[in-house]
Amino acid sequence: MAENNKTVVDIDRSVYDIKDVENEQDFYRMEDGFTEDIVKKISEEKHDPEWMRQFRLDSLKIYNELEMPDWGPETDGLDMNLISSYVRSKSDMKGKWEDVPEDIKNTFERLGIPEAERESLAGVGAQYDSELVYHNVKDEVANQGVIYTDMESALTGEYADMVHEYFMKLVPPTDHKYAALHGAVWSGGSFVYVPKGVKVDIPLQSYFRLNAAGAGQFEHTLIIVDEGADLHFIEGCSAPKYNVANLHAGCVELFVKKNARLRYSTIENWSKNMYNLNTKRALVEEGARMEWVSGSFGSHTSYLYPMTILKGDHSTMEYTGITFAGKGQNLDTGAKVVHQGKYTSSVISTKSISKSGGIGTYRSSVIINKEAKHAKTSVSCDSLMLDSISRADTIPGMDIRTDDADVGHEAKIGRISDEAVFYLMSRGLSEEDARAMIVSGFANPVSKELPLEYAVEMNNLIKLEMSGG
Amino acid sequence: MDLKMKVNHLPALTYRFLKSNSSEIDVNDLYIENTKTPEPDMIPAAVTVKSDAAKSDVQDVFAKINEKIKAKQTKLPGPNGDTAPFNDGQIVRTGMGIEVDNLMDEMNVPVMIITADEGYKVEEPVHIKYSLKDGECVLGSQVICAKKGSEITIIMEYESEADAKGFLGISTRLLAEEGAKINLVKVQMLSEGFVHFDDIGGACDDKADIETITMQLGAGKTWGGTRVTLLGRKSIFNNHTGYLCRHTQEYDMNYVADQYGQKTESNMVFRGVLLDNAVKTFRGTLDFKTGSAGSVGDEQEDTLLLSPDVVNRTMPVILCGEEDVDGRHGASIGQLGDDTLFYMESRGIDEDAAKKLMIRARMESIARMIPDEALIIRIQQFIRTIL
Amino acid sequence: MSEQSLLQVKNLSASVEDLPILHDINLEIKPGETHVLMGPNGAGKSTLGYTLMGNPHYKITDGSIIFDGQDLTNEAADKRAKAGMFLSFQNPLEVPGISLGSFIRNAYHEQTGKPVKLLQYKKQLAEAMDLLTMDSEYADRDLNVGFSGGEKKKAEILQLLMLKPKLAILDETDSGLDVDAVRTVSKGIQEYQKQKDGALLIITHSTKILESLHVDYTHVLVKGRIITTGDGRLVDEINENGFEKYVRCEGCSGCDTI
Repeated sequence: MAENNKTVVDIDRSVYDIKDVENEQDFYRMEDGFTEDIVKKISEEKHDPEWMRQFRLDSLKIYNELEMPDWGPETDGLDMNLISSYVRSKSDMKGKWEDVPEDIKNTFERLGIPEAERESLAGVGAQYDSELVYHNVKDEVANQGVIYTDMESALTGEYADMVHEYFMKLVPPTDHKYAALHGAVWSGGSFVYVPKGVKVDIPLQSYFRLNAAGAGQFEHTLIIVDEGADLHFIEGCSAPKYNVANLHAGCVELFVKKNARLRYSTIENWSKNMYNLNTKRALVEEGARMEWVSGSFGSHTSYLYPMTILKGDHSTMEYTGITFAGKGQNLDTGAKVVHQGKYTSSVISTKSISKSGGIGTYRSSVIINKEAKHAKTSVSCDSLMLDSISRADTIPGMDIRTDDADVGHEAKIGRISDEAVFYLMSRGLSEEDARAMIVSGFANPVSKELPLEYAVEMNNLIKLEMSGG
Repeated sequence: MDLKMKVNHLPALTYRFLKSNSSEIDVNDLYIENTKTPEPDMIPAAVTVKSDAAKSDVQDVFAKINEKIKAKQTKLPGPNGDTAPFNDGQIVRTGMGIEVDNLMDEMNVPVMIITADEGYKVEEPVHIKYSLKDGECVLGSQVICAKKGSEITIIMEYESEADAKGFLGISTRLLAEEGAKINLVKVQMLSEGFVHFDDIGGACDDKADIETITMQLGAGKTWGGTRVTLLGRKSIFNNHTGYLCRHTQEYDMNYVADQYGQKTESNMVFRGVLLDNAVKTFRGTLDFKTGSAGSVGDEQEDTLLLSPDVVNRTMPVILCGEEDVDGRHGASIGQLGDDTLFYMESRGIDEDAAKKLMIRARMESIARMIPDEALIIRIQQFIRTIL
Repeated sequence: MSEQSLLQVKNLSASVEDLPILHDINLEIKPGETHVLMGPNGAGKSTLGYTLMGNPHYKITDGSIIFDGQDLTNEAADKRAKAGMFLSFQNPLEVPGISLGSFIRNAYHEQTGKPVKLLQYKKQLAEAMDLLTMDSEYADRDLNVGFSGGEKKKAEILQLLMLKPKLAILDETDSGLDVDAVRTVSKGIQEYQKQKDGALLIITHSTKILESLHVDYTHVLVKGRIITTGDGRLVDEINENGFEKYVRCEGCSGCDTI
């Protein structure tokens, strides 16, 4: 990995920032706001089954009843009446890049998605605003019985019953205000089913692009990894920057069955006008393992705490995360875990970097229930402050209900040491490069968990942030 | 009267389901009969005691430092979910918060102001002892002011008749002027029929030092809060807390070090044991304010869980708005380790005896720092009796 | 079987987390005897010590441990200690809040069930510490907290002298010690044997500590099996030639991997 640090090429944020002008005849855009009428219209647009229509309306009711939490970053800049819940290209989803409309295809080409698919992925889903524009899975993976499709097709297709059984059962709309909103207006996302015993050797990836100004993206990802199966799923997100607030309130539900393993990696690089109020949750059965790798670089404001429920005995989870809060960003991230089964174990390790007035908050909760005998948890969070106009806060919580638990927690906050910078400068690095190298080193435990090309992207993002881009 | 207070606010709010953002004291039919702080048994030279000071006297004591604190506050944003504004209006910020001040005002509780004269290092501790009878309900308020370059040690001991019921609520506020040092020891050995709160707030000027040692060994329900404002350059806050909760005892605490000055130091150690159905909530915050360059802070929590029915909540918070700081928190929570137990057993000490030994060791490691041999023996006796 | 045997280990096999470590160990120690257990790193020497003492981490899968006529195979460590077994640890426990002196007093009380006669106890403790050239202030210091490696080893031998077991298993007591400290520790061990006619099982991979002791039996443990047993001269032989001839598999002239 050290090599990557050295070979970082200068990158340019403009690749993420190119906006495509969405002309009215090619795009359908729902009027702004979240009313019953709008929800009904979305449901019609999407040809929902009746239960889903009702589910949306019930969720909207819950949304209107729930209050914003009193604990997180402010969301005053987010005016829900100015957000369009649904924007889609009038062209349908394609199974070949050639068939995707030219301008949209160009966007994904610039982001390198088709190339990555050719080189290192087992399947790709690409969402543009509210709907998937491309979805494809390699034949050999499909032949193993792996289902990887967009949520809309899953809802009405062969797996309709399975979707009905699992949809928002793990994250019910009553969970919090934005989960309810998601339930009302969700659109797009992926459905993955890996059959018993099937090990998918190379990752699947979904890429989410929010292109329309003032729009919301509410994709739903539902992954079921059946007994003894193994999957690595990668999620990438980006958006061009606008002067108005955009909203992302996605929902990820992961079911990891007995002795299965799921790794879920995210590099989030939303633009800095994005309110990212995302909910991710995994239910882990006996002997199964859930691994999260999470990099948060973008967004104006983030609330993001992937949650793991270690339900089965001997189930385990590992969360590795990094957050880089730069100018104008308030990123409140972390993880939650509930130990229910016996001999369950969790390891949470996070890195957080704050710079140029950014606010980075690590927030977590570890709950060990009374039944979770022999549970083990270890939390370690490091924060790095790069100047004194930024903030780095660490707010973990633990609730332990059994004596038969082994709980370790470590938190550290500090700065780049002058000696380290001096040492590198004495070897000929500029101060900027020296600091960037130290920050990359700080982030290394996370980047080494990522596939190579994503580690490179992450290092590029760090470099970009460090140079004040 | 009925007492309902919201206290021990976590400095930055978090998930509501953790139920640790604050705590509520809810006691009905309280008849407060005594609000006067007992006179110290001996007043050493260079110490003055004023027994019935009013709120305005307290304001005067803190007037100068409060001006300085005001001047230091910046307009940079606080943490997400900042609760500091909830306690605006306190003469000095305390761990439990403004509702304790309000209660003391409402009940016209006189304040005992203990002052150490400038430049004097007072060798003998000042002892204040509450010995409570069955049914007694008491409030008390003290201010300890160590003038420039002085040092004073105050030992407060709370005990009661065996099997007594009652209520004891205490507020102790501290001011350590430039180069001064306050050692405050609090030992609580009330019987389990007592409801108890103990609120501490302090401020340190340049090179000043506040050291607190707290032992919570009794009372059915206890709320404790300590908040120290390290305003001055090179000021120090050291805390050692030992607690032992069993049966259905509940202990809810909130410790905060607000580090404003340059090169300030805070160091907090919490060592406790939970048995039976005990419930503990620990909040500990290091708050490095912008401008606190060169400051360090360390919090270590070590909790021994000795029953499957205990509840242990831990909220170890670090807030930071300054680059040049070094803050750490460590927590280790669990039962006696297999290695510990095996070592003990290999020396013929069985599990039960090993647990008792470890409980005593933990309490002893805090108690022995108290500069009063007789009190240490009383603590040892108290622990022996309850074990 | 001799009636006077103190420790009889019969066909003992043990595993850690389902991984078998010890295989079919047979060992007999009589009162006052000194046995040495040698073997290359990773042979299972410490495992044998822990298993004899009853560390719950090591599961006995077969065989038995008879000590002083009692079957202790399934007993917890404290029962074994009370029966007269002692194990000195390589990394003894640190306990803030309990002094070394008070810990030994507690252990003594638990083992004998009798109240400790304080004056007599203090005198004995002072003598033993003197013998081990330990500063008397160590008695008041917290158990092993801030002790150097050598001080920890001495503190273990101090407990041996005070608790007077029938059998002492010394696990690498000499490792990491300088020459003077080894001499002091072995003086302590001699004293223990003299006072009590105590039996010893010395686990070591060096021979420094054995120089001043009379060794009755030497056992060589390789890959969890005792592959040979001899008298004291075996120590010298191993000292000279190492373990090489023992670690070869039967019928093989040796391989590169070892």
